[in-house]
Amino acid sequence: MPGPLAGLKVVDVSIMAAGPWVGALLGMMGAEVIKIEPPAGDGTRWVAPRQRGMGTNFICLNVNKRDVVLDFKAEDDLRVTRELVRQADVFIQNFRGGVIERLGLGWDILKAINPRLVYCSISGFGEEGPLRSAGSADYVMQAFSGFAALNGPEGREVPEQYRFSGFIDLTTSSVAVEAVLAALLHRLQTGEGQKIELSMLEAALEMQATRLAELLLAGAPPGPMGSRSAILAPDRAFRTLDREVFVTTRTEAEFRALARAVNLPALAEDARFATNALRVSNAAALDAALEPAFAACSAVWWLRRLRRDGIPAAIAHEFETFRHHAQVTANGMIAELHTPDWGQVAVAGLPWRFGRTPGAVVPPARPGEDTEAICGPLRRGQVAPPAERAS
Amino acid sequence: MTLDGIRVLEVAAGVAGPYAALRLADLGASVIKVETGEAGDWTRGAAPSLPDGTGALFAALNRGKRSVALGAAPAGWRDVLAALAAQSDVVIIDLPAAVLAASGLDALLAAPGTRVVARLTPFGENGPLAEAEGGELQAQAMAGYTRYLGRHGEPPLRLGADVAGMGTGIFTVQAILAALLERAASGQGQVVSLSQLGSLLALKTVHLAAQSEPDAWGGPRLGGANDPPEHGWRTADRPITFAFGGSLGAEGRPGWMAFIEEMGLQPLAGDPRFDKAGRNSTGLGPDARRLKPDYEARFRDLPAATIIDSVRRHGGIGAAYNTPAEALAHEQTRRLGVVQEAAPGVVQEAGPGVVQEAGPGVVQEAGPGQAALRFPARFSALRPRLAAGVPALGADGIAVLREVAGFDDDRIGRLLAEGILGGPREQGGPVTL
Repeated sequence: MPGPLAGLKVVDVSIMAAGPWVGALLGMMGAEVIKIEPPAGDGTRWVAPRQRGMGTNFICLNVNKRDVVLDFKAEDDLRVTRELVRQADVFIQNFRGGVIERLGLGWDILKAINPRLVYCSISGFGEEGPLRSAGSADYVMQAFSGFAALNGPEGREVPEQYRFSGFIDLTTSSVAVEAVLAALLHRLQTGEGQKIELSMLEAALEMQATRLAELLLAGAPPGPMGSRSAILAPDRAFRTLDREVFVTTRTEAEFRALARAVNLPALAEDARFATNALRVSNAAALDAALEPAFAACSAVWWLRRLRRDGIPAAIAHEFETFRHHAQVTANGMIAELHTPDWGQVAVAGLPWRFGRTPGAVVPPARPGEDTEAICGPLRRGQVAPPAERAS
Repeated sequence: MTLDGIRVLEVAAGVAGPYAALRLADLGASVIKVETGEAGDWTRGAAPSLPDGTGALFAALNRGKRSVALGAAPAGWRDVLAALAAQSDVVIIDLPAAVLAASGLDALLAAPGTRVVARLTPFGENGPLAEAEGGELQAQAMAGYTRYLGRHGEPPLRLGADVAGMGTGIFTVQAILAALLERAASGQGQVVSLSQLGSLLALKTVHLAAQSEPDAWGGPRLGGANDPPEHGWRTADRPITFAFGGSLGAEGRPGWMAFIEEMGLQPLAGDPRFDKAGRNSTGLGPDARRLKPDYEARFRDLPAATIIDSVRRHGGIGAAYNTPAEALAHEQTRRLGVVQEAAPGVVQEAGPGVVQEAGPGVVQEAGPGQAALRFPARFSALRPRLAAGVPALGADGIAVLREVAGFDDDRIGRLLAEGILGGPREQGGPVTL
């Protein structure tokens, strides 16, 4: 079933992670995405782990794309690339500062070829300022942006990385898609394309927006708080007879329900806990009351008890337990791809479920698989748009 | 602007729904926020707060919106919500299924007509947890996020950033903009569903793929959840992270060789534990962890800035660890203008790389405003605004019902008298027309 962006054409010359997932998301929404790899290949093909020879990062970050290999330094390949851009709606690049201009694919050149083009340019730190040329990576931006400094045990101000997730890369891609779609709506009204500049730094700060609000609006610098939050109490993991249960109350109704559930009805009448703000201020006293209560029963017992009363509660899962969880499968949150060459690979399901234009997750093409089909006619001077790949 | 003339009805609380509506407001949409329950959006009561007691979280996510407060029983909301939805292009809803049915919004989900309706749930609208309540912490735990922080056997940690709420909010903006684009061609709206759990699993695609085939596990992701916490390299002042990549020459990796020489770490070049690439000992992974003390023995005498400057000059990548406050104060962040003043009429600044093509730049009208994160990308033509003004609970109820829903004063009076429509609390006593 076509997605909401069916008919949209995307040319993606980005490599690694933050750029490529932009095209993947647009493709999952139904756009036709052509990934152009350099002859040396996108480095994620070799990043471990590799499944039957292919980096799993390449597979998960390049779903819903056709794949061609072109050498921008070769005149004919550059010409073919520009012809693809002439027919495209969106162009995505994430080379280090200045490189894309030297390759002859800068915004100034491409907008002359296609004034309706939405040109999405992704960098580590931005395209101006003292760090405009500095390279970045997920873990570098976790460190620089303060993202890591929000993680860790309470009171121990040692920043801690979210390990090996590419989380800031994927956040950057997600923010880029917001911007690309906004620019496409702008084009719908004005007919004009434009350049978008997005850095991993801006995206990493956006992901911290709620915590930065504490600093910017209340003057309270955010720091690591273990499993707890700054905004609510209780909102943390509690030790039970066995493992932890993760419990939150957001409203007075939920807190009153919790007091009943833990069989401590006096908590709901206690002046120290009369509002969320007071509970946050008196969190130590609240914890002292709740911890022994939770320690008396198992995590699953609490899970059932709290859910029955409409109180947010969960236990921690890991890949093998959430992968087959009825909730995850019932909502298609993980897509199991059957690839011809690399076997079965689990990747992100569609993060949005469009009722009328659902879209789908499609395995990536093999590197270079579509070079002849897409570029051959253009090389021979035929400029008809590339045919849709048979589904 | 892009969404001028687009009306958004937000029937949501917390982070994801309000964030999505906020960014739509920054793109020009006009947002009516419907607040339900005993005290409206629960983030009004979140800590820490502004001097007037409003939660900082609420103030950050609800700039530029008009607030309508609806009282106790969802059944009473029917006419108001139906009338407002009828006048809206976009509806964002995060109510539980039971409340959807009681308030009549289930009819909108069944037949959205020309409207784009975003439905947000904690764990997905199907399955055994379709009705379960959940928030940020529950989504992180269930999506396995807590597993990649801390150490097994020690108290679990959460990601300090509200990744479930923000991630879902970002995906919601995407979904609504894509559906509006599609509507422009088809003339039809549709319902799009999102969940906090689904968003976090989508943002975990790298972890999912890496764990697909146990025989293929390798590289730095091999240990994954079982690795020790990653804190970087200690220096004289603050920790850093860094890596050298690039092409390997006959004599090693030139950047790394020059770097260790500059650091006074030449012995590493001949140390059999370090390959001549140096790469295995930087960045992430088991070798980097094992060899960390060899670097730290020298780094402890040097400030982080000196080391990072050398890393970058020699072609490596790296950064010192900042707190969020330090990241915002950094010259690079300030140059990008990430934090700006939201006040009436203020339009997002653009960078010099793109501003030449822009129309009018910043329009400063009345100040003083509120510090805000601008729309997180910069455009050569589009100029998002910084929607301004944080509404008191129910501040705009009467005006919105009069102007948008088209209710007459008698009808509004009855809604007030029956406690269905709430008024601004500050006024105290009964609200009068």
